[in-house]
Amino acid sequence: MALSYSEALFLYCFKKIKDERTIYSLFHLFQGKKSSQTIQDAHLYNLTPFFQAFPFLTRQELESKVISLQNKGLLIQKAPEHFILSDKGERELSLFVTRRPMPPRYLDGWKYHHLTSLFWQRLSLLVQVASNLVHQKRQFIPVQNKQETLDWVKDYIRRQNLSREELGHGIFKELSHCLIQCEGEPAVLVRRLTGHDRIGLTSIQAADELEMEHVHYRLEFLNIVHFILHKAVETPGCFPLLDGIIRDIEKPVPFTLSTEKTYQLIKKGYTPGQIAQVRNLKLSTIEDHIVEIALHLKDFDLEAYVPKSKQERILQAAQNTSAKKLKQIRDQVADANYFEIRLVMAKNGDKS
Amino acid sequence: MNLEQALNRYFQFPSFKPGQKETIQSILAGRHAIAMLPTGTGKSLCYQLPGYMLDGPVLIVSPLLSLMQDQVEQLKGRGEKRVVALNSFLTPIEKRNALSSLQNYKFIFISPEMLGTRLVINKLKSLRISLIAIDEAHCISQWGYDFRPDYLKLGEVRQVLGNPATLALTATATEEVRKDIARLLKLDSWDEHVLSVDRPEISMSVEILGQQEKLQRAFELVSNLQGPGIIYFSSRKMAEHVAAFLRDKGEQAMAYHGGLDQESRILIQQQFLNGQFNVVCATSAFGMGINKGDIRYVIHYHLSLQLESYLQEIGRAGRDGNKSLAVLLYAPGDEQLSYQLAEAELPESAQVGRLFALIREKCFEPDDVEENAEFLSASCGFSETQWRIVANFLKSLRQEPAERLKEQIERFAEKRLLIKKSQIENMVRYILHDGCKREYIHYHFGEKHCFEVTNCCSFCGLDFVNFRKHLASPELPIQYDWKKELASMLLAQAGDFNE
Repeated sequence: MALSYSEALFLYCFKKIKDERTIYSLFHLFQGKKSSQTIQDAHLYNLTPFFQAFPFLTRQELESKVISLQNKGLLIQKAPEHFILSDKGERELSLFVTRRPMPPRYLDGWKYHHLTSLFWQRLSLLVQVASNLVHQKRQFIPVQNKQETLDWVKDYIRRQNLSREELGHGIFKELSHCLIQCEGEPAVLVRRLTGHDRIGLTSIQAADELEMEHVHYRLEFLNIVHFILHKAVETPGCFPLLDGIIRDIEKPVPFTLSTEKTYQLIKKGYTPGQIAQVRNLKLSTIEDHIVEIALHLKDFDLEAYVPKSKQERILQAAQNTSAKKLKQIRDQVADANYFEIRLVMAKNGDKS
Repeated sequence: MNLEQALNRYFQFPSFKPGQKETIQSILAGRHAIAMLPTGTGKSLCYQLPGYMLDGPVLIVSPLLSLMQDQVEQLKGRGEKRVVALNSFLTPIEKRNALSSLQNYKFIFISPEMLGTRLVINKLKSLRISLIAIDEAHCISQWGYDFRPDYLKLGEVRQVLGNPATLALTATATEEVRKDIARLLKLDSWDEHVLSVDRPEISMSVEILGQQEKLQRAFELVSNLQGPGIIYFSSRKMAEHVAAFLRDKGEQAMAYHGGLDQESRILIQQQFLNGQFNVVCATSAFGMGINKGDIRYVIHYHLSLQLESYLQEIGRAGRDGNKSLAVLLYAPGDEQLSYQLAEAELPESAQVGRLFALIREKCFEPDDVEENAEFLSASCGFSETQWRIVANFLKSLRQEPAERLKEQIERFAEKRLLIKKSQIENMVRYILHDGCKREYIHYHFGEKHCFEVTNCCSFCGLDFVNFRKHLASPELPIQYDWKKELASMLLAQAGDFNE
């Protein structure tokens, strides 16, 4: 019995978090919850691609999936809400990933979650409008009905200063170049698009049409969207029309509001203790913020919080212990506190 | 310029549809009018054309945001820019802007709740309103099929605005409801233009069968009948279930209901309009404001809550004037589901009790109640429909003691439930009526005339052969070539995309 895609996905995630985190940490990850805990876990366990992959997933759906994995002997409960893969689960999963990459190659929920749905809303409307312009059809009902999206598309088209044909041709060229380079199946995206004489499919219809499980379809769809975003953001010169769709919102990943305030104070040179006092918050909260900042900013310097030598010893200890349990690291680096360990792990999570 | 010329000039139509001209003549002669014209026969033209011929703006009262939006878009689509919609979707800034420039508009759409504020009334008073059109006017009567208490103030609003010509529009209103409309709108005299609710091109069939046989029968019908068609359900889950069942059997069926996300709803509706699939399994959320001429059948898997809404729903078939079929599948006991649905639309006594306890507990003043509407509604578990009723009563919190208000709401709910139950009973009587189904409809709406219709109904005899599938269902391309598809969307000449 081969694994279905969704089974493989959940096993993959459980393998990553082992029995160190509960199934609800996965729930928050898929939902894209913006809490320091969820964000740190995503980095610590290398699950950032899946951040906000399934915002409509319910607890019940996740729970029943876990029960079915248990019933099939793929997952074993270690403690309430904590699971590990059975030998069979390990075997099946390793077999599965030889056939299909997990996660899909370009999936990067953490990097693009704030752009994904907006990009899709704008792109799908833009293609519909451009298609109707090219084919001189004046009356049609827009597939997106948010006023701000409608206003945006009008403004976007005006700014391009292109003829109808040039606009259609330009979007066609950029999109098809992107889709050819991407390893995913382009139909996953193109099926969803609406043109002058054909209405696009809903995501469920497209999944059924392509005979994919809905979970699988969703990840493939995100994979392609993230690939396009990657191309547009990294090489805007090659894809000016696509990049233009999100140029107004390409900001570095935003902090949570409270973290942002802490960050502003750090930049002014305040220590964590001072910030806690000024903001009337607990020190541990401020420390959470700093860990979140370290996750986001590649060039955030830890020196002020953990001396270089201690950083190295913590990393060494982390490599010696397979589990990412902070306690095991702490046992090896007696002079480090949990904040210091979490901070170093946050900074280096992706490398270990 | 005579009326036909005006019609041609403003709308490029060659001639009027039945009922339109008479209605418009009444209005232009300065008389009030109640017009009952079946859906899809161009009710909106009855106020739009006079709008162009009279001085001063037309005020259109419309109860549903989606309907209002459709009409506004329709007008704008024809190039009319002097259109504005005043409803609760406007942000405070948008509302202020719209109000301050109201004199620039020819067509002012307004939701009934907006007519409750003095600011709006005063602004309207300063304009010289030439005509008030009241859409879905049956909402004013508690015997109408969608009673809205906030319609009751329209009589007073009319008088405050100086008794301008008033046009009450409805698609389905019994004689009793029409009398109610005139009385509650405080019309002294009026013309009535009533077209029969009967649509001779629609054959009406009722099939009584066992609960277990329904699904199979629905499938039989779908596989034999010429589409496109609609199947109506009372429950989202059943709509999904039957759609999936039909798809499994090789039919092109999709579900449509209020539980879908916005994007899917738009897409599925548009796919259906565009002929990309054949059968839509829908709740009553489907069909409002959509105009598809070639719907060949409407099947009811569950019964509608009133004969009026049943007629509205089957009336979506055969708009092109060609023969169509309505089939109602009834299993004894189906009305239980209807009773449950009717009850769920009304506030429950326990919820109302909790509401007033909460208001007391928090020491809310009338202003606080308004401001915390969302909180109150959510804490007491009111649905949107329930809350609309409650909120309407809460407006009198300033004048009435809470205890009395609570009683009023409860009494109101009890009374409404009785009415709704009697409407469901009437629906069942229609189903069980051992005689011509069309005759029953005539009788219910107080219509006298009766004409011969071939394939009239399941009592008079009707031959399903007339509705047999003869055109192949639309087919999806077998080989999907994404690049070709993308090229045909975006390139003027789809051939040369492999550069």
